[in-house]
Amino acid sequence: MSFFTLIGVEFSKIRRSKILFIMAAAAVLLWIPSVLNAKMNFGMQAEGISPENNFFIQGFLGMAWFMFPAGMVVATVLLSQTERTNKGILKMLSLPISTAKLCIAKFVVLTALAAAQILMMTGMYYVSAAISSGTQDYHFILPPLFVLKEISLIFLSAIPMIAVFWMFSVCIQTPVFSIGIGLASIVPSVLIISTKVWFAYPMSYPFFMITAEYGKLAANLDTAQVELMPWLPVAALITILCLGISCLRFGQAERR
Amino acid sequence: MSVSLECRKVKRTGFLPVFFGGGILAAAVPVSNMAVRSEMYLNQPGSPIRILLGANWQMMAMLNMLLAVSGTCLLYHTEYADNAMQKMTSLPVRESSVFLSKAVLTIFMSLFVLVLEAGAVAFCSYHWFETGSGFWGELCKCFGYSLLLMLPCIILSLLISEACRNMWISLGIGVICVFTATMLPTADFALSLFPFAMPFQIFPGTDMARSAHYICGAAAELAVCGMAQLILVKVRRCFA
Repeated sequence: MSFFTLIGVEFSKIRRSKILFIMAAAAVLLWIPSVLNAKMNFGMQAEGISPENNFFIQGFLGMAWFMFPAGMVVATVLLSQTERTNKGILKMLSLPISTAKLCIAKFVVLTALAAAQILMMTGMYYVSAAISSGTQDYHFILPPLFVLKEISLIFLSAIPMIAVFWMFSVCIQTPVFSIGIGLASIVPSVLIISTKVWFAYPMSYPFFMITAEYGKLAANLDTAQVELMPWLPVAALITILCLGISCLRFGQAERR
Repeated sequence: MSVSLECRKVKRTGFLPVFFGGGILAAAVPVSNMAVRSEMYLNQPGSPIRILLGANWQMMAMLNMLLAVSGTCLLYHTEYADNAMQKMTSLPVRESSVFLSKAVLTIFMSLFVLVLEAGAVAFCSYHWFETGSGFWGELCKCFGYSLLLMLPCIILSLLISEACRNMWISLGIGVICVFTATMLPTADFALSLFPFAMPFQIFPGTDMARSAHYICGAAAELAVCGMAQLILVKVRRCFA
């Protein structure tokens, strides 16, 4: 089986999982407060950020801090549980497919779910920006190219984090441990981004990225900026290491 | 009897270690915060408990809730995973009593977590602050109040996990609820009655009448969730 067929198979496995409904619900809930409090965007002179930029960045800050990483933990649960219920993984392992390939195919599906979540957030952003423009009589909608740049930054910086979560769910057989560790590791990221060693903690990357963008957009706000030098090699190393370990460990518990 | 049965069911699922580890993590929050930047808090007015909870409770409450959500998901996941639920429903046991014993188990574990956190707060108060008389009474009152406000969150997430067969759906709904709660303004009374937002409240610094309102609200939510559970079981039996 070619790699692309495998990815197709993995997608058809989660077709009826209703995960997209959960992500859509999260996206809608995220933007409701922003629409209701749209007036507050005009009181940000101290930070020196324009109302439309503030509207955009506040929503995405909320997403990158908790909802997006937590959504990824839920997605890893989905991927591992669809295989483990009714012993589907045993059938997959009995096929003449390399397990590493299978593992990477699942990881690709996971990143696709991440992209889907970000795209849903963006779609809802445009809807809520349009509504707020109507109610506040001010043009809140940002040009698509700028938004595209921001969301691709979030997505790219999230890949190491997704790899770590995927490693947790592959290596830790008891689901509650992988969920617990995943969710608990999100909470301290708000503390870690204000330290110097943020680049060693993949769970804080998306939040750090969006905070740095906030600092760029707000004239009077000085947030730490992304320094590529220690970060890129560390992030690449973490990603490769996590993917390597998960490829090695994938299906090991079942083959014993 | 059925509570002990539930205890045996969770024996190898990692339920107990997760609560233990999560409790230690949550208890480490105030200790590490004080160890790193104690000078920020030492000069603040008010009782040590008030300062410590004001500085750390947001994060601790969030950890508590995430623990409760993932724990309850797991409790029903073990039932649904290999169709154990069908065997349970064929026994002469009411589904509500299964629910109740799972609730008792989760509440007990949350109490354990809160005791760990109270121990950490007591340690911080003795180590960094000067404690007056009546410290232990205040501590007990404060964490008892937190436990009371945790109850609706636990029962509701247990109800969600009972309603959804698939673990990721119940976990997803729970996570969305926790996330929504973090965005709700705490000053607004009606909105902070949302079961997942209530655990963010702290006892010291809130006036008596408002705390009493919260306790009444928690009791009302518990009653509503209990009714909803009974109805859910009945309706599901009709359509099964």
